[in-house]
Amino acid sequence: MKKTSLFTICLVIFIVCWIFLRFVIGGIISAPIPNTVIAMYMALIFIAILVHVSVEDSRFTEFLRPVNETLLDDNKRTRRLILVILIPLLLSGYTYSNIAQKASPLGDPRQAHPKPPLDLTYKDEVIDTMQKAHNPYRKYEKEDPELFKEHVENGRSVYYKNCFFCHGDHLDGKGHFAAALNPLPANFQDPGIIPNYQESFFFWRISKGGPGLPNEGTPWNTAMPIWEDILTQEEIWDVIIFLSEYTGYTYRTFGEGH
Amino acid sequence: MRITMLTLTSLFILACVVMLPSFGQEAQEGSLIGKQVYEESCAHCHGLEGRGDGSGAENLLPRPRDFTRGLYKIRSTESGQLPTDKDLFDIITVGMPGTSMPGWETSLSTNEREEVVKYIKTFFSGFQENEKPPREVRLADKIPYSKESVEIGKGLYVELGCVECHGNLGRGDGTSAPTLVDAWDFKTWPANLTENWNFRGGSDPEDIFKRFIGGIAGSPMPAFQGDTFYHFGLTPEQSEQYAALEKKVEDGEELTTEEEELAAQYFEINDTAATAALDWAEGLEMSPETLKIYNDAMKVVYEKSWHLANYVKSLSPEKRPEFAIGKHVLRSQYIQGELPALADETWNTLEFSYYPLFGQIVVEPRQFNPSIDSVNVKSFYNDTEVVFLFSWDDKTHNTSEEENEETGKTYQDAIAIQFPVRPPKGPTDPKPYFLWGGKKPVYLWQWKASAPDTLTELTAKGIDKAEEQEAQGNFAVESDYTDGKYSLWVKRSLKTDDKKDLQLDVATFVPIAFSVWDGGNGDIDTKRVISSWYSFVLEPLPSTRRFIYPPLVALLSFGLLVGLRRFIQRRNS
Repeated sequence: MKKTSLFTICLVIFIVCWIFLRFVIGGIISAPIPNTVIAMYMALIFIAILVHVSVEDSRFTEFLRPVNETLLDDNKRTRRLILVILIPLLLSGYTYSNIAQKASPLGDPRQAHPKPPLDLTYKDEVIDTMQKAHNPYRKYEKEDPELFKEHVENGRSVYYKNCFFCHGDHLDGKGHFAAALNPLPANFQDPGIIPNYQESFFFWRISKGGPGLPNEGTPWNTAMPIWEDILTQEEIWDVIIFLSEYTGYTYRTFGEGH
Repeated sequence: MRITMLTLTSLFILACVVMLPSFGQEAQEGSLIGKQVYEESCAHCHGLEGRGDGSGAENLLPRPRDFTRGLYKIRSTESGQLPTDKDLFDIITVGMPGTSMPGWETSLSTNEREEVVKYIKTFFSGFQENEKPPREVRLADKIPYSKESVEIGKGLYVELGCVECHGNLGRGDGTSAPTLVDAWDFKTWPANLTENWNFRGGSDPEDIFKRFIGGIAGSPMPAFQGDTFYHFGLTPEQSEQYAALEKKVEDGEELTTEEEELAAQYFEINDTAATAALDWAEGLEMSPETLKIYNDAMKVVYEKSWHLANYVKSLSPEKRPEFAIGKHVLRSQYIQGELPALADETWNTLEFSYYPLFGQIVVEPRQFNPSIDSVNVKSFYNDTEVVFLFSWDDKTHNTSEEENEETGKTYQDAIAIQFPVRPPKGPTDPKPYFLWGGKKPVYLWQWKASAPDTLTELTAKGIDKAEEQEAQGNFAVESDYTDGKYSLWVKRSLKTDDKKDLQLDVATFVPIAFSVWDGGNGDIDTKRVISSWYSFVLEPLPSTRRFIYPPLVALLSFGLLVGLRRFIQRRNS
C-alpha cells in the first residue's frame, strides 16, 4: 500500500485545526471566534508545521516531493491542470464575495459588569456606601420569618405589577414585551446573575435603570427604567428579596472573593 | 379451595371497580401539590381564590382568567361545554401567545401541571357536577387547505358577518370593534387575523375551526351553532334564496304570495333547527327526527367552518417576520431619478423591515396593554433625497382633535420616528437614551392623524422634554388609512441646512426607533408603544471593484503558479 505523503498529512492537520477552531470551539462549545483570532492561531499552526518538516533536510525534501512532482512530472499533467484552474478560480471567487458583501452594522460591545458608583442612593438620598449598604429587611429571614414572608409576598406583588412584562413570569427574561427589546432583559434564572452581585448592586440597577449606567463601557442601550421614580425603597428591597426566594439563588455578600 | 380463592379475587376486583369512581372524585378535589403549585406560580395573576384578581391582574389586558365561572376560551369541546383536562393542561404547557400567559413546560413538571389542572377545576363547581365527559368538537371531516377552499372561505367571511368585528381584511378593525367587552365587562378587541402568531389557541386550521364550533367562551366571539349561526338549518342553496328574499324585504319590495310562503318555510326550518341546537346544548333527550335536523344543520356548519378556517389561515404570513435586528437591518435602496410615490408599484420590489413594539412602562402614564404589535418600514434613496414608507396596523381610526369630555385630552393616532441628531462614530460611541434621548438629544419626525399631510420636526432630551424645531424642514408627506392599516410616506432631502437635523450619508449606519400612539386604546403623551434602537443604512451601490479585483487575483495566482514551476525547473536543471 502506498504510504500517505508527509505533505498530505500536514495539509490534513492544517484543515482539521481550522475546522476545529471555526466550528467546534467557535460554534458547538462557545460563541464564534473572530476571523482575526482564527487567522492568528492558523499562522502559529502553519509555522509549527514548517518547523516540524524543516528540522531535517531529508524530511523537508520528502515534504516538498509531492509539490515538485505535481509541478513537474509529465504523468501528473491532469492534476496540474486542475490545480492551475482551480486555485485562481477559488481565490478570485473569495475576493468577489468579500467585496460584494453587504456592510454590516456596528456590533454592540458590552461589558458584563457595569461599575457601580461609590455610594448607593435613592433619588438624592445617600443610603450607604455601595460596599456596606445592605437589605434592611434581610435580617427578618432569621429573626422573624413571618414578617420576612410578608416582604417576600410584597416583592412578588411588586414584581408582577411592574417587572414581569419584560423579565418574565418565570424570571427568565422572557416576558411578553421582551422579544421587542434589544438588548434582552436580564434573566434571573441564569446562575451567573444573582450569585455574582450584592443586593446593593441590584438596588442600584433597579433604582437608577439604564440612564444611571456609567459612561465607561458604553453603549449600554438598556431599556431598564428608573424605578425610583415609581417604587419606594421598601418595594425595591422587597422585590430583591423576592428574586432570590423565587429562584433559590443567594446574593453575594460583602467580603466574599472577587 | 381453588374456587374460594377465585371468588375472593373476583370480589376484590369488583370492590376495586366499585370504589374507583369515589377515588376519582377525591382527586377532583385537588391535591396539596396542585394547591402549592397554584399559589407559587399562578396566584399572582389568577388570584388566590381563582377569581383572576391577583396583584398582576390590574395591569393586564386580556385579564388573567377568572376560574370561578367556568368560562374557558380555548377548548376542544363544543359550545357551552367545559374544557377537557387536556385542554387545560395544554394551555398551561404552551401558554397563550399575544397575552401575558407564558408556557410552563420548562418550569413545572408534567405531574405538577396535571395537579394544578385538578386544583384549578375546584374553583368551579360545574366540573364536579358534570357526570358526562364534555362533548368534543368533531375534526374528522376536515377539508384540507387549498386555494379553492380559501376562496369559498373568503365569501363566507362576509356572509357569516365576520367583517363586522374583524374588518374587511381581518385586521380587527370592524365597525363593532371599539364597542366590544367580555363577560366581565373588560374591554376586548377582535383578533387581528393577519397576525396569527398572536392567536391564543394556535394558528392551525384545526385550532381556528375549534374556535368556530366551540366559540371563545366569555368573549364576544360566538359559537357557530343555533341562532348565532347565519341561516342555521338551511342548505347553502336555500340560504342563498332566503338571503335574496330578505334583501327584497329590506329594500322595501313587495313579495309575491309564493315568495312569502317560501320565506315563511325557510324561517320555520331555521327556527326548528335553532331550537334543536338549544336542546343539544342543554343535553336534553332528543327525538331521532330532531337529532337528524340538528345533525344535518351542523353538517353545513362544519363544512363552512373548514373553508372559513382555511381562509383565516391564509390571511397571515407563513411565519412571523424576522425582527429588523442583526443582519435584518433597514436598508434603503438606491434608485436613479425620481423616488416612488405612495401608490407606486416599485415599493412591491422591497421587503418590509419588521420592528416589534412594546408598551412604554417606564414613565407615567404607562401603557401596559399595547394594541399595536409592530411597524413595518421600507425605504429608497437617490442622489439627493430619501423616501420612507411606514405602515402599521391600528384597529381604530382616531383623527379627532376634539378633547375627551372626561379627561380633557385629545386621543388620536400618531407615530414618531426617532434618530440621533448625529450618528454614533463607532461601536463605543453611545447612542442617546432610547426613550427620546437624555444628555444626548434625539431628532424626531412626528406625524399625527389629525394633520395627515404634515410632519413636525422635534428635538428631544427626554420623553417629556421634546420641542418643536423653530426651523421646520421641507418634507413631502402622504398618508392613508384603509382596512385597519396606516401607511405613511415621507420624503426628505439627504442633507439640510439645519444643524439640529440628522444629515444622511451613504453607508453610515444610523440608529432608528419608533413611538406609535393608538388613540382608540387611550394612548396619549408617554402612554404609547415604543421600540428600542434599531439600525438603518443607505445601502451603497455594490462597488464596481467587484469586477476588477477578482480577475486580477486570478491572473496573479495563475502567474505565480507558472512562475513557481519555472523556478523549480530551472533550479533542478
